[in-house]
This record gives sequence, C-alpha cells and structure tokens, in this order.
Amino acid sequence: MNLQRKLQQLLSSLVQPLTAVLIGLLTGAVAISLVGASVLETYKVMWDGAFGNFYFVTATLARATPIIFIGLGLAIAFRAGVFNMGAEGQMVLGAVSAALAALYVPGPGIIKILSALAAGFLAGGLWSLLAGWMETRFKVQLLISTLLLNYVAVLFAGYLVSEPFQDKSGSAALAQTPMIDQMAWLPKLFQGMSVHMGFVIAIVLAIILFIILRFTSLGYEVRMLGYNPFFAEYGGINKIKVLLFSMFFSGGIAGLAGTVEVLGSQYRYVEGSLTVPGYAWTGLMAALLANSNPIGTAVAAILLAALQTGAMGMERNTEVPLEIASVIQGVLILFVTAKITINWWKVKKKAGDIHGAA
Amino acid sequence: MTYVLEMKEMTKKYGEFLANDRISIHLKKGEVLAIVGENGAGKTTLMRMLYGLEQPTSGEIILGGKNVKFSGPLDAIENGIGMVHQHFMLFSDFSVTENIVIGHEPKRNGFFNRKAAAEKVKELSEQYKINVNPLKKAGDCSIGEQQRIEILKVLYQGADIIILDEPTAVLTPIEVEELLKTIQFLADQGKSIILITHKLPEVMKVADQITVLRNGKVTGNVLKQNTDVEQLATMMVGRELQKLTDRIQVNGEPLLMVDNLSIGGKDEKPILDQLSLTVHRGEIVGIAGVSGNGQSELIQAISGLRKIDRGSVRLGETTLTGKSVATRRNAGLAHIPEDRYLWGAAKEATVEETGLMGYYRKKMFNQSSFILLSPFRKLVRGWIERFEIKTPSLDGKSGNLSGGNLQKLIVARELGFETDFLIAAEPTRGVDIGAMEYIHEAIIEKRNNGDGILLVSSELSEILALSDRIAVMYEGKIVDILDRKEATEERLSVLMAGGNENESSKKTTTTA
Repeated sequence: MNLQRKLQQLLSSLVQPLTAVLIGLLTGAVAISLVGASVLETYKVMWDGAFGNFYFVTATLARATPIIFIGLGLAIAFRAGVFNMGAEGQMVLGAVSAALAALYVPGPGIIKILSALAAGFLAGGLWSLLAGWMETRFKVQLLISTLLLNYVAVLFAGYLVSEPFQDKSGSAALAQTPMIDQMAWLPKLFQGMSVHMGFVIAIVLAIILFIILRFTSLGYEVRMLGYNPFFAEYGGINKIKVLLFSMFFSGGIAGLAGTVEVLGSQYRYVEGSLTVPGYAWTGLMAALLANSNPIGTAVAAILLAALQTGAMGMERNTEVPLEIASVIQGVLILFVTAKITINWWKVKKKAGDIHGAA
Repeated sequence: MTYVLEMKEMTKKYGEFLANDRISIHLKKGEVLAIVGENGAGKTTLMRMLYGLEQPTSGEIILGGKNVKFSGPLDAIENGIGMVHQHFMLFSDFSVTENIVIGHEPKRNGFFNRKAAAEKVKELSEQYKINVNPLKKAGDCSIGEQQRIEILKVLYQGADIIILDEPTAVLTPIEVEELLKTIQFLADQGKSIILITHKLPEVMKVADQITVLRNGKVTGNVLKQNTDVEQLATMMVGRELQKLTDRIQVNGEPLLMVDNLSIGGKDEKPILDQLSLTVHRGEIVGIAGVSGNGQSELIQAISGLRKIDRGSVRLGETTLTGKSVATRRNAGLAHIPEDRYLWGAAKEATVEETGLMGYYRKKMFNQSSFILLSPFRKLVRGWIERFEIKTPSLDGKSGNLSGGNLQKLIVARELGFETDFLIAAEPTRGVDIGAMEYIHEAIIEKRNNGDGILLVSSELSEILALSDRIAVMYEGKIVDILDRKEATEERLSVLMAGGNENESSKKTTTTA
C-alpha cells in the first residue's frame, strides 16, 4: 500500500518532464519533416549516434559528465530557493584554478589531482559565495549578480591563459595553459574511450546529494528554505547561513564540472572549451527538468547529452542539420521555464503580501 | 404569501462530494435572512449558485414568482441580486465614486459624466444613510469604508436582494455595530438581505429568519424570536458545545518580561512605542486591538523575527533581546503564528515535514545530523489522533490539508515542544467550532499546567473566554490592562478605538 503510493508519487513527478520531452520530440518531428526527411529514420540515426554502440555510449557519458556536475550544483541552489545563474563563470574559474593547481602544486599525481579538485571546488564556491554575500549584505538580486559575474569570470580566465599562464611551448599562440603532467590525469574508464573517472565521481556525488537533501537536518533546512523562507525563519533556521552554504556548494560543484573536464579530457584549460558547448545552460536545463532532484538531474543530464551527441551523429549521416537538437531543446526550455516562472511569481506575490499586510 | 426569492432543493455535487444536498431557502421583501454554518457547511456554494458563479446539479431558483437560471454574475445583477464579497474588489487608485459607478457610468455625449456620477452617489449615500466621501481614493479608505463602497455599488446597480458574505470578519467592533444598523435600515427600506456568517451574536441582533447548514444540509430554519445562540450553535455543530475546563488559580512568578520595547519612531510614528508587558506562569494574557496597531510586530519582536530599536525581552532568567529565533525557541518559547500559510507551514512540504520543524534539531530525532523519522512519525500520529487531524497520510502535501486541519497540526506541533511559554496568535482563525473547542481546551490546559501564554486575537469573544488579563493595544502602545472580571466587550471596544474609558459615556464614537 505504502509502496504503491510512493510509486504513484514517483510516476506523477515524472509526468511533467516526460510530457515536456515528448512535446520537444514532436516539435522536432515537425521540423524534420519540414526539411523533407523521414522522421522515424532521422530519430533512429539520432538514437544510434547517442547509444548505437559502445563507443557512442561512452562519448555520450563523457559529454554528460560536466553537465551532471553543473546540474547538481544548480539543484542545490534551486532547492534552497535561490537562482544561481552563474554556473558558467563558476565552472570556468574552477577549471582554470584546477589546471594551475595541477601544473604548479609539487608532488605525486594523487596530490596534484586532490589539490586540483580542491582548488576547482574552492574557486567556483567562493565566486558563487561572493554573489550570495552581496545578496545577504546589500540585497543585490542573485539572479542578476550571478549572471553578470559570469562575464567577469570568463574574461578573467581568458586573460590568465592569454597572458601570465599562456602555453608558450607550441608554435601557435593559443589562449590555453600548458598541458598538465600525465600523472595528474583522471584515468579513463575504458581503454580508448573518452569517458573518464569524472563520470563516476559525478554519479557518486548525485547519490550523496540525494541522501543529504532527503535524510539529514541540513537537507531539511535547505528544502524548507526553498519551499517557504518565512516558515524556515519562523522555525529557527538561520536563513543567511543556509543560503550562503547553498551558494558555496552550488558554485563549488559547478567548479568541479570545470575541474574534471580539465583533469579528465582536455588536460589543460583552453579558452572557450567549456563555454562554447554550453555545458552550463544544458546543466541548468537538466536541473529544471528534474525539478532539482539530484538523481533525476543526473538522468536528465545524460538524456540531454544524448540529444546533443545524437544530433551530431544525425548531421554526419543525414541531410538534417544539427540545429534540430536546438529546436528540441528550445521547446524543452520553454516548457520548463514556464513552470518555473509561475512558481517564482507565486513566491514573490506571497512575499509582497506580507509586506503589504505589515 | 409571496416570496421575493425561493431556492428549492438546491443540490451541488463536485464529483462524489455533495457540497449542497437539497437545500431550500426563502426570503420575503424587507427581510433579513441569516445563513449560518461552519466552514465547509455549504454556505458559499449555495450563494455562488444564486449569484450565477456555479451551476446547480439540480434544484430551482424562483425569483419574484418566475423560474430563473443565471449563467453568470452579470445575469444575477440584472435580475436585482447583488453580492458584497468577503474580499473587496475595488480599484484602489480610483475614487469612491468611480468605484461605485464602474461598469454603469452615467454618460454625456458618450463621455463619462463625473458630475452626474458624484451626484448619484451622494443621493444614494443620503437615501440609505451610508456615509462615504465620494472624492476620496478607494485605496485611502478604511476597511469599513471600503465595505460601504461595496454596498453602495450593489445598491447603485439596482439590487433588491443583497448578499453579504461574512461581512463582519474584517471589521472592528464599532464598525460591526454600524454595519448591523445599515443592514437593518436597508431592510426597513424594502431591500431583502442574505447574511452569510458564523458569528451567532450578530445573527441574533439583526436577522429575522435563520437557516442553519451543516455538511451541506439544512439542519434548522427558525425565526429569531423562537431561538437563541445556544440552540443555533447546537444545530451548527450537531451536538452541544462543551464548557471550557475550569481554570485553576495559579499565582506564578513573572515569566515573559517585555520592557520598554520600541520599533521605529525617530521621524515617523513608532510601530511599537515603549511597550512593557509581563506574562506570569499559569496565566493567559490576551492582547486585544484592532489589527494593525502593532500586535503582529510585537509577536515578531518577541519571537525574534523582527529587529527592535530599543527595549528588552526576557524569558525567565534568559535575556532574549537580540538573540536568534532558534536560541529563543531553545530557551522555551513556542509560537502559533498568526498566518498559518505564511509562517506556519510550507504548502509544498509534506505533512510530516511541516510537523518536523524545530523537532529535527532535537536529540531524540537526530543522530549525527541524520533525521530519525520513525520515532518522529510516532509523535505525529499521536497529534493526529489527539487533535483529530484529517489527513490521508503523512506524505500528503501540507497545502492539501483544509485550513482547520493545518491549523490543528501547527497547534499540535507548537504545544508538543512543551515549552514554558507560548505565543498563540489567532490560534483559531478560520477553523470550525469543533477545532476551536479543541484548541481552546489545549490552551487552558497548558495554562493550568503553570505555563505562560500570550494570546493575540482579533476575536474579542476568544480573548474574553480565555484570558486572565487583557491588554488593549492601540497605535503601538498598551493603553490599558483589564482583569478578567472587569473586562466586557463594550469596555474593550472603546479602548480598542483609542477612546478613553471615562469619555465614552459623553461622546458617541465614530470610526475613521
């Protein structure tokens, strides 16, 4: 009986994201038939491109890795009821810090890896904490400050790798750091495949976060703050502490997204390598699709990565352009944000009511 | 005998739920019909059907001898039925006149004729002795004035049957008196009034005929001269009301000491003005006052939700001034908040999670920061049993509980802390009589246990029933503290309006 109800709850929480995905695919189908291709065949090619053989599966998982991290980081912030829009900047600062730590911290590989992970986490976390602090201290809206701090972070990282820490060894003067020592690389999971240890870390992190949010007092405080900040305050939850904590971890985990990309697949920080694929925005979508459930976020991140790798396969093998994936994603965003906007508006209205009544 | 309105065998089903079950009412010209019943008894559904907002599943409405069907409020208005809603629907930036004539503006050459409108409003206001200032902005009007605007709007639209939905819920005692007079006068002028309420003393003052509803059915239809408050209450609740437990005389030492508390006031009017108050052990101190005179701020200042500018708050030996909410709660403060949806719960959270607030920190339910749910669930099940909280499961959303059940959950949670001191703010707002009895009983029991309680309520009857001493707040100050024995509704009303008791016999009080 109890199990049945739990199952029902689970299913009902899946209805909304699945509907969004379905409508996304239907819209994609319309677009595909407009360019004159066969819908079923194109989707089959897409599926093959994402999951068709072992190589493609691992490529999808490799692409999903930073997206999962970003999604998890944002999920924490969303759970606490704050809009962290700064994942991109936090990720980039994490990446460049991790690269520098791996390059310049002396010692064996494991020390380099651990200090790179710590540096990446701290850089992203502190950057995000700055926005949180400005909100609690000066009432600077997080939504705005995190978004704007992205530009600062990305441009600053760009400066670091084109001036003081630029790789001078190669002939072409690219904006990138030197390559890190091979002993500080995260191992690949399978010989010759692109998926690396970062993916395992991401999945473990998703499970840990799920447990923390669900079963610990800290998780309870974060969730109640997100549900109703007035209720949290009334019950004795230190609003500022929990908000700053959530922002720190949110940014820190986004920093880890950059870190594992550096340590596991690029082995250096290359300007634009993290921003051009739009990991941050895909991660945002994953968190929103999964309603900030950590495990759901990981699943959604893999699905979205599959959509992207599948679309690349589709472009290689058919006449249908890559942009179809953007169309599908666009529809997903539309559905997910419509829901978020309504919720956000409701909370604002509630807050307005209390000040009006006071 | 001719009726201006008859509703026969009205039935409304929502799915399986029978909101109205063959309800019949009738109304004569110039008569005041009161429809009373607890929340969820079906009063609102019945009126929504009359006003065209809902279509009945079966039944007929006979208006002036003719069978009618309304497809919407406009239809009802055209047929001379007007409704004054509980929540006013005014445009706050428009003048009183504009609000009254809106939708039926007098025109000259196709343009809005303000002069004619103002005159019409003045005429109406004089004819029905309803006092308004036609040129004032609606947003600047007091609640009582806003209600008068709504009544004039209905009259302007030509209503002969006026429905008033819980009209006294938001008014001060003096405004209530005025409204009752207006209702009487309107009836004398030949208007027929339907008054929806659950306040029985008011019904006894103004109604000619009373229909009682319970669980969607009519449980009684009586003339005023043949009934009394007790009989009506019994019909409403379905059983006789219990008497409150006797209070044991306790002479406790001071527990909560508020000293010279001030908020604001350098350049503007202070919200709290050097307020001092003591609550002893074994005592209920009631705070009476028209809402907006600093009661909410006082509660928030004591519980730590609002910063204060001057003064101190102590609980027994502990100084609370400047401490966090959690520290205050640990020092022995529990708090039933005045707004259950804003402060008391999270609608999205489960019933269990709403109950868990505060307990998750306690050693009993927390092992190295993991929450131990099974002992907690046992505790919540105990609350559910004791307070008869109706919830399908502990995993259901708090927002899906009815208002009364959520309130009972919050009361149970705060009583469950077993603290020395409790703030009970509007503990029974919007709950039915059954739940109210439970909550009152629990508060008295806590008092008899030797705990101190600060009760804030906008219901004078609640204050009078529970308090040992009653402090009256006006403009951020406590203007007087009356002993239980010397407090009467009349004396409190005068104090609440800011009037000095001694003057009250000389001047007739008018409301702002």
